[in-house]
Amino acid sequence: MKFLLTTLRTALRNILRNRMRTLLTMLGIIIGVAAVIIMVSVGKGAEADINQRIGALGSNVLMVRPGGSSSHGVRLGADSWQSLKLKDIDALKKHCTQIAAVSGLVRANGQFVANGTNWPTNMEGANVEYFEIRQLKLSSGSFFTERDVRTSRKVAVIGATIAQEVFGDSDPVGQQFRFGKQPMTVVGVLASRGQSGMGGDQDDIVIAPITTVFFRIAGDSHLNQIIASANSREVMAAAQEEMTTVLRKEHKVRGENDDFSIRNQSDILEAATSMSRTLTMLLSAIAAVSLLVGGIGIMNIMLVSVTERTREIGIRMALGARGIDILLQFLIEAVVLCSLGGLAGIALALSACKVLEQTVGMNTILDITTILFAFGFSAMVGVFFGFYPARKAAGLNPIDALRYE
Amino acid sequence: MSSIIQMHRLSKVYSLGESQVHALRSVDLTIHQGEFVAIMGPSGSGKSTLMNIIGCLDQPTAGEYHLQGQRVDRMRRSELADIRAATIGFVFQGFNLLSRTSALENVEIPTQYLRRRKLTESPRSRAIEALQRVGLQDRMHHVPSQLSGGQQQRVAIARSLVNQPSLLLADEPTGNLDSTTSEEIMDVFHNLNAQGITVVMVTHEQDIAQHAKRILVVRDGIIVSDTAVVK
Repeated sequence: MKFLLTTLRTALRNILRNRMRTLLTMLGIIIGVAAVIIMVSVGKGAEADINQRIGALGSNVLMVRPGGSSSHGVRLGADSWQSLKLKDIDALKKHCTQIAAVSGLVRANGQFVANGTNWPTNMEGANVEYFEIRQLKLSSGSFFTERDVRTSRKVAVIGATIAQEVFGDSDPVGQQFRFGKQPMTVVGVLASRGQSGMGGDQDDIVIAPITTVFFRIAGDSHLNQIIASANSREVMAAAQEEMTTVLRKEHKVRGENDDFSIRNQSDILEAATSMSRTLTMLLSAIAAVSLLVGGIGIMNIMLVSVTERTREIGIRMALGARGIDILLQFLIEAVVLCSLGGLAGIALALSACKVLEQTVGMNTILDITTILFAFGFSAMVGVFFGFYPARKAAGLNPIDALRYE
Repeated sequence: MSSIIQMHRLSKVYSLGESQVHALRSVDLTIHQGEFVAIMGPSGSGKSTLMNIIGCLDQPTAGEYHLQGQRVDRMRRSELADIRAATIGFVFQGFNLLSRTSALENVEIPTQYLRRRKLTESPRSRAIEALQRVGLQDRMHHVPSQLSGGQQQRVAIARSLVNQPSLLLADEPTGNLDSTTSEEIMDVFHNLNAQGITVVMVTHEQDIAQHAKRILVVRDGIIVSDTAVVK
C-alpha cells in the first residue's frame, strides 16, 4: 500500500514534469473517451426519442389492414383488398374479450376550405373509440359523440396545424368549413403532438365521424384500417389471436390466405429501436477505434520515456529495485496518464452534450454506467499499452542501464 | 573477525560473438567485516567486473561467492535485488542522483525497496539521519543542480547509508571531484569505516588508494598484489 502510494507520487511527478508532452499524449485518450461517451449518449437519446414518439401512438395498439389481393394472377399488394367492412367492427366489439376499444378508419384527401383560405389535408373517419386508442387530447372544444357517429353529423375535430394555418389566432370551435363539397362544423381542436416517429406531421389532420366520411365524403364501401387497443401490453398476443379468429370467421376465410393482416405497435417500436441501437453501436465502435489510437500514442510515449530514463532505471535497480518494482512504476504511470485523460474526456463529453442539447436541440442521455465504462476502458487502455514498455524497462540489465548515456 | 566477502575460484567470461573475453580468471578473495579496501588496476583489468559481482549487479560464470555467509552466485535477479537493497550501499563516480528531485527524496529512494528487514524508524527520519551523518542536514531540500560536486557525492553517500548496509561499494567516488573535495569525501569514508561499515572502493588514483587499509591490484583478471597500507 505504502509502496503503491510512493509509486503513484513518483508517477504524478514524472507526468507533471513534461506538461506539453503529457497533454499531447493524453489528447488521444481525451478525444477517444469523449467520442465514446458522446456517441453513446446521443444514441441513447435518439432511442428514447423514438420510444417516446412511437409510444405516444399507444403501445398496446393493434392495427388491422386489408391484405394483398390478386386479379387474374397479378398481385396487387397490401391494402388493395377491399375486405374490411363496417360490420367487422361490430363483430370485433361483440366477440373479442381482450380488446378495450376498437375503431374503424377511413381516409380521404381533400382541400380544407374556411375563413377565406384553404389547406390540403387528410380527413380520417373514425369511431369515438379512436380518441381513446390514440390517446388524443383536446386543446379546446370537444370530441364528436356516439350520437354524431350514428347520425353521420357533419362535425369534425381538427389538428393544431390546420387550426393555425386556416384560423390563425382565432378560435376555430364552432366555425364552418368545407371539405370537398361538404359543409361541416369544427367541434374541437386537438392538442399538438408534433412529429411522428416517421417524421410526418401528426397535427395536420381532420377527424370526423366514420359514417360521415364513409357516406358523405369517400362514398366507398370499405375501411382502410381497423385499429384496436388491447386490455394491456401483456395480452397483446392473445388479443391479436382473438381478432384473427373473429375476422377469419367473419370473412369466411378458408386455408392459410387471410385477406387482412394484423400488426401491433410494439413490433414497429422494436424495429425502430433496434435500428437506432445498431447505429449507436456502430458509432461507438468507430469512437472506440480513436480510443485505441490514443492508446498507441500512450505506448509510444512510454517507450520514449523508458529510453530517456534508462539511467534512472539502472540507479533504482542498483539501489535494490526488483524488476517488478520498475514494471509497476511504469505501468502505474501509463495508467495514471490514461485515467487523467479519461477524466478530461468525461468533462469534455459532458460539456459537448450540453452544447448539443442547447444548440441543436439534440436529446442526449448521459448515464453513470456509460461514464464509468468509458473511464474503466481508458484505464484498461493504460494497462494494455503500458505493459510492453514497462516490461521492457523491467528487463533492463542494471549494469548496462547505469552505463547508458 | 568474520568475513563479509568470500570468493573462491571466481571467473567471469563474456562472449563477444565468436571470441571470449576472460574478465576474471579464478579469483580467490576474502574481505573481513570492518575492512577498508581499495581496488586498483588499469582499465580493462577486470576491476569493474569484480566490483559488479561483489555488488550483486552481475553474476560470475564459475566459482562461488558468499556474501555475509550467504551463497549469492546462483541467486535469481529478484533475490539479488533484495540483497542489494538490504546489505549493500552504492556510491558512483557520476553521483547518479535523480535530477529535479530533492536531496531528501533522493536519499529516501532505497527505503521503498527494502523488503528483507523491518526498520523501526520511518523512511523520512532515516533519510534525515543519513543526511546528518554526511553533514548535509541544511541542504535537504535542494535539488542536485543546486549542490556542488562534493555535496552531491555526500547526498549519494547518505543514500547508500539509508538502509543501514554492512557493505559500502564505491566506484571511483572521487573521479569527478577536485583534490580538496576528494579529501573531504575520503574523511566521510574514514568515519563510516570507523563506525564499523566495510568499505570497498575502486580507484586509479594512488593517493586516494592510500586512504584505505588494504590495496588490491587487479591485472588481466587476476589479483596480482594484495598489500596492507602502512601508516
